Amino acid sequence: MSELAIRIRGLRKQFPGVLAVDGLDLEVRRGEVFGLLGPNGAGKTTTLEIIEGLQTADAGEIEILGMPWKTKAQEIRARIGVQLQSTSLFNKITPREAIELFGGYYPKARPTQELLDLVQLNEKADAYHVGLSGGQQQRLALALALVNDPELVFLDEPTTGLDPQARRGLWEVVRRMKAEGRTVLLTTHYMDEAEVLCDRIAIVDHGKVLQVGTPRQLIAELGLPSVAELAFDQAPPDPSTFSTAIGRPVDIVEDRWDMHLEDPKGQLPGILEAADRLAVPYAQLHLRRPTLEDVFLQLTGRSLRD
Amino acid sequence: MLLWRQFLMEWKLYSRDKGAMFWTFAFPVLMLLGFGTIFRDGSGPKVTIVRVQAGAESARDAALREAIEAQHVTVERLSPEAAEAKWKDGKAAVLVEGSDEAPRLRVNAYLMAQGMQGASLVQQASLLAQAKLSGQPEPRRLPMSVESPGKAKATNYAAFLLPGLLGMNLMSMGLFAVGMVNVAYREKGKFKRLGVTPLPKSIFLGGQILHRLTVAALSVIFVLIAGRLAFGISNQGSYLLLTLLIFLGTATFMALGFALSSFANTSETYAAISNLLFFPMMFLGGVYFSLEGAPKWLQDSVQLMPLGPYLKALRAVFNDGAGLQGHGLGLTVVGAWALGSFLIAVRRFRFA
Repeated sequence: MSELAIRIRGLRKQFPGVLAVDGLDLEVRRGEVFGLLGPNGAGKTTTLEIIEGLQTADAGEIEILGMPWKTKAQEIRARIGVQLQSTSLFNKITPREAIELFGGYYPKARPTQELLDLVQLNEKADAYHVGLSGGQQQRLALALALVNDPELVFLDEPTTGLDPQARRGLWEVVRRMKAEGRTVLLTTHYMDEAEVLCDRIAIVDHGKVLQVGTPRQLIAELGLPSVAELAFDQAPPDPSTFSTAIGRPVDIVEDRWDMHLEDPKGQLPGILEAADRLAVPYAQLHLRRPTLEDVFLQLTGRSLRD
Repeated sequence: MLLWRQFLMEWKLYSRDKGAMFWTFAFPVLMLLGFGTIFRDGSGPKVTIVRVQAGAESARDAALREAIEAQHVTVERLSPEAAEAKWKDGKAAVLVEGSDEAPRLRVNAYLMAQGMQGASLVQQASLLAQAKLSGQPEPRRLPMSVESPGKAKATNYAAFLLPGLLGMNLMSMGLFAVGMVNVAYREKGKFKRLGVTPLPKSIFLGGQILHRLTVAALSVIFVLIAGRLAFGISNQGSYLLLTLLIFLGTATFMALGFALSSFANTSETYAAISNLLFFPMMFLGGVYFSLEGAPKWLQDSVQLMPLGPYLKALRAVFNDGAGLQGHGLGLTVVGAWALGSFLIAVRRFRFA
């Protein structure tokens, strides 16, 4: 049995006018939760759809659970579970019916009740799909992805549009999948999610993998400095005077000023002194280690959610 | 069995869409009742002939009027001004003007069908009137009966219309209920999720086809019942042949719908493509009227599209009680469309 759940070499996919995937290599080990991160249009969804067998690649090798798509398509389909970025079902099908219907497509299927319990859809089990909330539809899609007790699960932006509580619920389900020995490949926009859930991460942009590693490795390898943040209650003022005073660049990020400090211990007092002297109306000061978000900005030059 | 479950689920979801289901079954019945009733009376043209007359009616004029009225046609007598106003409104098909010595006919170009019929009636009546006035014996009319070709007893327009509606219903079901709906579903990603399961495409298509076959069968049964109750029309031929033809029609047009849907990525594109086939077939395929009088090239080209030859065969069985002799070529054309569409559909169908 192959140690790799997914092995991809030199994947290419050209759409009219766009090279969506440009020689992408990827290896996902069995039993790990693997995150595919990248800005919109980086080629994540195309890559995922090729791996799931929804699209065909122009070039490249793909092996899923040790099997090539060309000759073992039905066997691969029977052993993977997929949650699409948006799962559109027939309006007037109920969650219970959908789970039973999809379960019937596979050689083995988990009991419907078990899945309804897992995604907490018991109350809505007999309501029409069209009447479910976005979060409930998302949970049904998750149940459908698990209906065949898959070895390998694909989750394409599973928490987009969910409220914080529902996101935590999904994290719990992903952790349980890992504990049950399944391999999970997910894409996400949320750095905190990737950091919390993923054993390893690949950062993708322009159809290529830029960097692969554990979240810690990625952060450490880049040798990024710590970040000092001055947070404001209102819109942050123009930092140019302040920037000149401390002699280093200041970025405006959301409602705060960010400064990268190679030597926080030596540099922080100067910043506080300058802020006092110039009467900068900041509300809070934070000093934090660099996160995946910083890694991401550094590698792609783009923020994840722009 | 997977196919059976797929079929049952199709029906279950379909039956929840009450509006769509109602119209699928009600539309052909309403069409039959509507058009069948409007054109129910097969005898005599519905023409009013306007006699333009300034003064009192002369004997010659009265003889002409009586001769026209003897053919169950109404003559309206109007002053020249009133007649001219009516003509300008486009409400008169035929005007008889001029003196009673030398009447002239004016026929409305926009109402040629009624106009020419009315005009020839007036011509006849004028000959009759002249003969009568000159004291000759009244000319003998030829005996006449109205019946459909073949041995059929049914004589009304509804009997001609009914097979046409059956065919058109199968065509619109294939092109719209199957083709259009498939494109819309694919556009909305409703099939995409199926594409990552091991469900074979053939089972999915098979489920849809079985479902549509049963819908078509039910719809045909409703139309046949309505035709019998409202107009006393019944199938003159073999029910086995009728069933086979209905089956052939459903298969052909459904395959056509599937095949066309594989060429369109959006509903808008599909509407354009399908109308290209739908409208020529609906107007020229012989649904509502016979094309006997149309130019030869037009008749021939219509016979290359599936609906025309299909309706000919269907009418031969249903109206004339005949077999399928002489329809070999036409049914081959239909079969070729069915087979070609089916191969394209199987080859090109995709979930996403």
